[in-house]
Amino acid sequence: MKRSGKLRGNLLSPSQQVVNTAFLLLIFLIMAVPMWNVIVISTSSTVDASSAGLKLWWKSFSFEGYEWILRVAKVDRAFFNSMFVSSVSTVIQVALSALAGYILIQRGLPYKNLITSFILFTMMVPGDLTLISIYQLNRQMHLINTYSGLILNGLISGFSILMMRSYFLSTPNSLAESARIDGAGELRIFARIYLPLSAPGLATIFFLEFVKKWNSLTIPAAIISDQKMFTLPLMLKSLVVEANSSTPNAPDNAVMAAIVISTIPLLAIYVFAQQFLMSGITLGSSKE
Amino acid sequence: MRKEKQTLSARLTWKRYRVFYIMLLPIVAYFIVFSYYPVYLGVVSSFQESKLMGGGVFVGLENYQGVFSNPLYFQALVNSLIVGIGNFVVQFVAGLLLALALNEAFSRQFRSMVQSVAYLPDLFSWAIVGSMWMKILAPTGMANGVLRLLSPDSFMPIVFMAESKFARTIMILTSGWKGTGYYAVLFLAAIVSIDPSIYEAAAIDGASRLRQIREVTLNNIVPTMKVVIVLGTMGLLRNFDQIFVMQNSNIINKVRNLLFQIYTDGILKFKIGTATAAATLVLLATMLISVIIRRITRYDETYND
Repeated sequence: MKRSGKLRGNLLSPSQQVVNTAFLLLIFLIMAVPMWNVIVISTSSTVDASSAGLKLWWKSFSFEGYEWILRVAKVDRAFFNSMFVSSVSTVIQVALSALAGYILIQRGLPYKNLITSFILFTMMVPGDLTLISIYQLNRQMHLINTYSGLILNGLISGFSILMMRSYFLSTPNSLAESARIDGAGELRIFARIYLPLSAPGLATIFFLEFVKKWNSLTIPAAIISDQKMFTLPLMLKSLVVEANSSTPNAPDNAVMAAIVISTIPLLAIYVFAQQFLMSGITLGSSKE
Repeated sequence: MRKEKQTLSARLTWKRYRVFYIMLLPIVAYFIVFSYYPVYLGVVSSFQESKLMGGGVFVGLENYQGVFSNPLYFQALVNSLIVGIGNFVVQFVAGLLLALALNEAFSRQFRSMVQSVAYLPDLFSWAIVGSMWMKILAPTGMANGVLRLLSPDSFMPIVFMAESKFARTIMILTSGWKGTGYYAVLFLAAIVSIDPSIYEAAAIDGASRLRQIREVTLNNIVPTMKVVIVLGTMGLLRNFDQIFVMQNSNIINKVRNLLFQIYTDGILKFKIGTATAAATLVLLATMLISVIIRRITRYDETYND
């Protein structure tokens, strides 16, 4: 992250710097103002939230929106569903990816290339293109409107397996060899040497996959129709689609409150686990 | 003798790796059921007329003809391409400009403040971003609030989300809002890893900073641009969530895309045959596009060395 040196020619001229700063400020405002708007509306009274105006500052501070979303839309249920499904499936995903990644770095393992291609192929077929078949599959397996369905779909991804594999590859092989000479079994080597050394990799996959699962909309939309099983994205979508007769129209402050609630875990991850997230993002875009 | 040795070593290999194969079994089984089987099922269903109670009758290419003769699919293809390419171009260009500007920012704190806020929407789902912008663009939303400030006398609220002439622009701009920070992070990661001595050499040669940006920075992040282009084109026809959340009956003809049409046909109308035929075509098209783009950008040559 070292900035290029302080050579005089390496800096923008003062007027260029002004233009640059103005541009960055403009981007900052474009990004931040809508988010600020969401926060203000979510904590405004229902009347103020739905009246016209900029709504960048409070006329009245109120938690009516949050009350509505809790009382009428049962946001606690959707929050629990999202949290439960995302946590369980992410933990399983990390464990299985680590295991599979470790298997893929075994030097002499027969058929290793075949196994790798088998996994690579799954990455070439995007899940959203097989949506119809996935729906049929879930129906055949009685996974419609179940937690198992929400957890099982997308439980393992080739992407995380390959990421774990590259983390393990960067672990020095000599440690494992000396453990092997001491008579340690393969699983023991995996648990005692590779897992602790790859903790940042495990964390990266955990957070990336958690965010993905928390945000996932396509497959839940296909397999969930029961409102009790709604995850937060499904609930949010049902609040803003064209009014349907069964539920009353959500007031603006309630929708914004639901948005704020949906972003809480994401913001927490962003604040406390930023380095893992960022390393995962840049890794994901670079080929090995 | 030799044969015995071979079987012995094979047995030893098996004994050593047995535990791995056993551990792999559930993973392989998972992929077969949740990745391979749906592809197989999709291709098979695309040649069948589906029955509600399962099973199907082979109908040859009838479903594919159904896709081609349905004008909605053609419209969906056009929309997918316009909105998809628009989304990508806006995100790419804005992300690149933002990354270049961030790299020249006058202070570290300012840079990380702008970068953090710009990246944030990438973490949000389309359910979040879509509903937020639908509220902002509503008659009582912030966008109309701004218009009222600009011309208080002749102000008439615009129902942005109901005007089909704005529909595609809204999709492209909101996805720019969501994706620019992500692209900027990718580009910036490449920019900061450029060897500072290249800049120093350029400075000694008397190149101004602007010229250094043009000739050093941009040249050195070409590989990243290629990766971004390949990733972007693979996602080109796959923009489901945004349209799923933000469409409504007033604008659907301008924004209905292939995945949305497949979803409507297959899951809401149970026209499994047509939907899976269309999905198979999109799958093939996606692969074809990605092969072509890889050729054009010489993607594999850059990286396979």
